[in-house]
Amino acid sequence: MAGEVKHIVRMQDVVKTYRQGKVDVHAVNNVSLEIEEGDFAVLCGPSGSGKTSILNLIGGLDLPSSGSIWVDDVDLSTLDSTALSEVRKNRIGFVFQAYNLIPVMTAYENAEFVLNLQGVSEAECRERVMQTLKAVGLEGLEHRRPDEMSGGQQQRVAIARAIVTRPAIVLADEPTANVDSHTAESLLDLMQLLNREQGITFLFSTHDQHVIDRARRVVRIHDGKVQADEVVG
Amino acid sequence: MNLNKLAWRNIWRRKRRTMITAFSIGFGVMLAVTFTGSGDYTYTNMIDMGASMGMGHVTVEPVGYNLKPTLDKRLTGTEALHKQIMTLDGVANATVRITGQAMFASARKSVGGAFIAVDPAFETEANNLLMRSIVEGSLFSDIGGRGAVIGSKLAKKLHVGIGKKIVYTTTDTDGEIVSDIARVTGIFTTGIDMVDGVMALLPMASVQKTLNYAPDEATVIAVIIKDQRHAEAMRDRIAVLPEAKNAAVLTWKKSQPDLAGVIAFDKAGNYISQFLVGLLIAVGILNTMLMSVLERTREFGVMMAVGMSPGVLFRLVMVESFWLAIVGLLLGILITAPWYYFLYNTGIDFSGAFGSDFSYGGVIVDPVFKARLFKESIMAILGGLFMLALLAGLYPAWRAGRIPPVESLKTI
Repeated sequence: MAGEVKHIVRMQDVVKTYRQGKVDVHAVNNVSLEIEEGDFAVLCGPSGSGKTSILNLIGGLDLPSSGSIWVDDVDLSTLDSTALSEVRKNRIGFVFQAYNLIPVMTAYENAEFVLNLQGVSEAECRERVMQTLKAVGLEGLEHRRPDEMSGGQQQRVAIARAIVTRPAIVLADEPTANVDSHTAESLLDLMQLLNREQGITFLFSTHDQHVIDRARRVVRIHDGKVQADEVVG
Repeated sequence: MNLNKLAWRNIWRRKRRTMITAFSIGFGVMLAVTFTGSGDYTYTNMIDMGASMGMGHVTVEPVGYNLKPTLDKRLTGTEALHKQIMTLDGVANATVRITGQAMFASARKSVGGAFIAVDPAFETEANNLLMRSIVEGSLFSDIGGRGAVIGSKLAKKLHVGIGKKIVYTTTDTDGEIVSDIARVTGIFTTGIDMVDGVMALLPMASVQKTLNYAPDEATVIAVIIKDQRHAEAMRDRIAVLPEAKNAAVLTWKKSQPDLAGVIAFDKAGNYISQFLVGLLIAVGILNTMLMSVLERTREFGVMMAVGMSPGVLFRLVMVESFWLAIVGLLLGILITAPWYYFLYNTGIDFSGAFGSDFSYGGVIVDPVFKARLFKESIMAILGGLFMLALLAGLYPAWRAGRIPPVESLKTI
C-alpha cells in the first residue's frame, strides 16, 4: 500500500533486568519503541541510562527479561542463539565505539567478512565490497590492516562492514566517541549520506551532541525508560 | 576470507607462543619416534632371535606337544607339509626338526640337556642362532652321520672339544631308553647360559633312527617368515593346509610364552611413558589454545555480533588447533629426521654398560640402541599426536562459542 510506513524495529513493553549481587537492576524498564524504515534516529541519555542495553536487545545480542522485540518482522524473543546469529548476519549491521575490526584482516577482508558468512559468491563479494569501500571513501586502502589505518579510517571500515550486506538497520553504539571532532563530522556526513542516498536505517546510541544534532529523531532515555521521543528534522 | 585462512593468520598472532607449542608437539614426535622406533627394532630383533633358536615364528607340531613335549608325539608326512609351507608367500625358510630332552655323557661326566635334530641341507645361519654362533669347528654335513654341535658351556661341563665323542641318551616312541654316539664337530657360544650350557645340534636321520621315527616324522616344523608381524596370518594360512590337519600350528607367542610376556610387559611400560608424554603435550596445547581464546573474547563477541554462529566459531578455533597440530608435526618431522637417521644407521652403543651378550626374556638383546619404525607406527605417532592436538582444542573451542556476545563485547 502506497505511503504505508514500515517498522524495522518494534519493541513492546520490553524489560531487561540484570542481577548485580543481591540487587535487581532494571536496565530497560517497560520500553515500547518503533523505528521506521529510513530513520536516522538517536537514543541519547546519560551514561548508565540504558541506551546501549536497548541497542543490544534490538541487535539480538541480549534477550529481554519480558516483552517482545521484532526486527524486520522477526520476533527475536522466540529465537535460539543460532537463529539470532542468522538475524544479525542478514538483517542487522553493527558499528561499535572501538571499531572492533579483526586485526589479522585487511580493510577489504573485514568488509567482506559478513558476506563470507552469508555464503555470497566471490565475484559478488568483490563487487559489493569494492563498491562499499568506495562509498565510505576507502578506495585504495583495501589492503591495509587496522593497525595501518587511522581511527577514522578504521571506523569507515566498520561502517563498510555494517552496510555491505544491505541490512535492514545499522545499530551504531557511540560511533564517534573514539575519534576527534573533525573525523566525527566526516563520519556523520558519511552515514547521513548513506541514509539519504541508499535509504539505510540508522539507530545510534550516543551522548555526543554532534550526533544528536544530525538526527531526524531523538529518543531520550533515562533510568531505562523512554523519557521523550521527538522528530526533529 | 575462509576459516582456514583466518585460522592460519590467527595462530601467527603470537609467533613465539605458537612456536613454543609447535616445538612441544615436535619434541613429542621425537620422543614417540625414539620410544616406538626402539621398540619396533628391539622387539623384532628379540622375536627373530627367539625364532632362530629353534621354534621359528610359526611352529607346526603335534597336538599337545607345546604343553607336554614328549618324543612319542610326532608329526607324520613332514616332507609334504614342508614342501607346501615353502610355497607360501612370506615364508623365508622352514626346517623340519626334532626337539627333545637328552642326557649327554662324556668319558668324564654326564649332563642333562636338550637337542635339536636338524637337516644340515636346510639350516642356514640366518634362521639358526646356534649355527650362527659356532665359534669352533662347523656344522656336520651328513644328515645320517654322527656329528654334533654343542654349546661351549656344555662342552666345558663334559670336558670335550672338537673331535671328541659324546653319548646322548633319550627315550624313543615307546618310552624305551635309547642312546647313540656322536662326535663333536662344532661348538657354539650364543652368550645365553641357558642355551650354551644345555643345547646340542644333532643330525636328523641319525636321531630319527635312534628314536624309531620314520624318515618323514619329526616333532616340529619351524617356519621363519619375512616379517614377524604377520605370524598370526601365517599361522592361519598354514593351519588350513590339508597336510597340517592333524597338527597344531602356533605362533611364537604360544611357543615362546616367556618372550611374549617380556615383550608385552615392556610394551605396556613404553605405552604408559608415551601416554604421559602425550598428556604433557596436550596440556601445553590446551594452555595455548585457551589463552588464545580468552585474550580474544571481545573479538569473538564482535564476530558473533556481526553474525558468526557459535558453531562456526567453534569450528574456527578447531581449525586453529588443526593448523597448530600441522605446524607442530611438520616441525617434529624436521627435527626428528636427522635423529632417526642417526638411530637407524648408527645408534647408541651401550655395550660398555651392559656387555655385548646382554640377554632379556631368554634372548640376546642388541646392546646398540637403534630404531626402526614400522609404517603403521609412523601413522600411529603422527595420527595420535594430531588427534591429541585436536582433542586439546575441543574445550577452548567449546568455550569460545559459549560466551554470550553481549558479555564478550564488555571485555576489554
